[in-house]
Amino acid sequence: MLTPAELVWLIAAVAKGDEAAFERLYAATRAKLYGVVLRILRRQDLAEEVIQEAYVKVWSSAGQFNPALASPITWMASIARNRAIDVVRKRSEVSLEDEPAAMEVAADSPDPLARREMTEELKRLLECVGRLEPDRQKLVLLAYYNGWSRDQLAQKFEAPVNTVKTWLRRSMLDIRECLGL
Amino acid sequence: MMAYGEDHIALAAEYALGTLDADERAQVETMMAIDRDFTAIVQAWEFRLGVLNQMVGSVEPRPIVWENIKTAIEHSEPQAPLVQPEAPPVASVAVEQAPVVDNSSVIQLSNRFRRWRSIAMTASAIAAALVAMLAIEVYQPDLLPERIRPKPRTQVVEVKTPSAAAPSAQYVAVLQAQGGSPAFILTVDGATRNFTVRRVGAAAAEPGKTYELWLISDKLPRPRSLGVIGGGDFTTRPLLASYDSDVVNGATYAVTIEQPGGSPDGNPHSAPVYAGKLIETVPSASQPPR
Repeated sequence: MLTPAELVWLIAAVAKGDEAAFERLYAATRAKLYGVVLRILRRQDLAEEVIQEAYVKVWSSAGQFNPALASPITWMASIARNRAIDVVRKRSEVSLEDEPAAMEVAADSPDPLARREMTEELKRLLECVGRLEPDRQKLVLLAYYNGWSRDQLAQKFEAPVNTVKTWLRRSMLDIRECLGL
Repeated sequence: MMAYGEDHIALAAEYALGTLDADERAQVETMMAIDRDFTAIVQAWEFRLGVLNQMVGSVEPRPIVWENIKTAIEHSEPQAPLVQPEAPPVASVAVEQAPVVDNSSVIQLSNRFRRWRSIAMTASAIAAALVAMLAIEVYQPDLLPERIRPKPRTQVVEVKTPSAAAPSAQYVAVLQAQGGSPAFILTVDGATRNFTVRRVGAAAAEPGKTYELWLISDKLPRPRSLGVIGGGDFTTRPLLASYDSDVVNGATYAVTIEQPGGSPDGNPHSAPVYAGKLIETVPSASQPPR
């Protein structure tokens, strides 16, 4: 795995049209980005489609990357994840009935990471998420990792959609306050 | 930097979290296209939450994925950063959204595109060639032959009739080709119904051609010209005052390519190259975004 500084350098080269740099950038980041979108889409064909589109976008908009705002991998994962969310939202909201197993699989938490491997930003965010009530913690993390809609979350938590909406809104504002923003 | 209320901050946060529905996402994306400060808020949330991906396990994609990407980028050069327009003044009234359903040609063309796309998504065996073409289509439509250039995307957002109590509401439509960057930004002043078209991403019209703006409404028998646009960076006109507000708010705004001086007979002579619908720029503070 390349360091963030190396990735920044590669993105700068990609912005100038350097295809070799783009190939190295792809090699260094593809498995992470694919993991992120596959978790949300749960179908290889859709995830491959999304990852292709995401990298074409990385190629075409590398000049817009600002290393002062985000790490390279975070920026790239945002592009891929946004595309994945767009796809699941447009595929209508029936996917839970389609894939009853998805609920169970999705309920497990993502890979635990040794605390020393976490960045400071992640530790800080997790501390703030950890201050939410246990149900809200789960709500936020399921929404993020699995890309679930409010309807899906409402089903999972057996609560009306409007209640879930209020919980989500409140949770995000609480996290913001906790982060001191 | 203008101050944003909790509604906007929560909307941005939920966009980044991913819990908004498709219409709300389209709304946020339109707001981002016209408001640099709001974009910064959304991105700050995306990057703040993005660290959570550190905990997601890596999965190797198949080699075909790289082959497809490589084919796609061979036909596209990286773009210079998009210069975003400055944020227009914003007003606050609730935004009602619904998918666009009407029978105008714009919509039919957009359906055609969608069909083509869904074919691409299911037929992964022929993906290499098709994805490459799609990528060109999305990122560099000008490279495609005329007959298969992308048809315009219609923003799937629309605004209900504004109440008379919103004297200075600002309505905005982002006119763009399918999947493309904003080409023109149309702003309508709710009180005067003057409209301003700002050229943002569109290239200057080719010699001997001109851009013309059209209002397409299911309440009108055919598209109505709003005149030639894009000669300068801004075009401002009072024309919309002659239409009912529900026509103005529900219409699709489309840009075609016409001969100099505009269409001679009041009818469009090309397929729309860019299109969009109006939204109000900011949902109400008193009524949380739906």
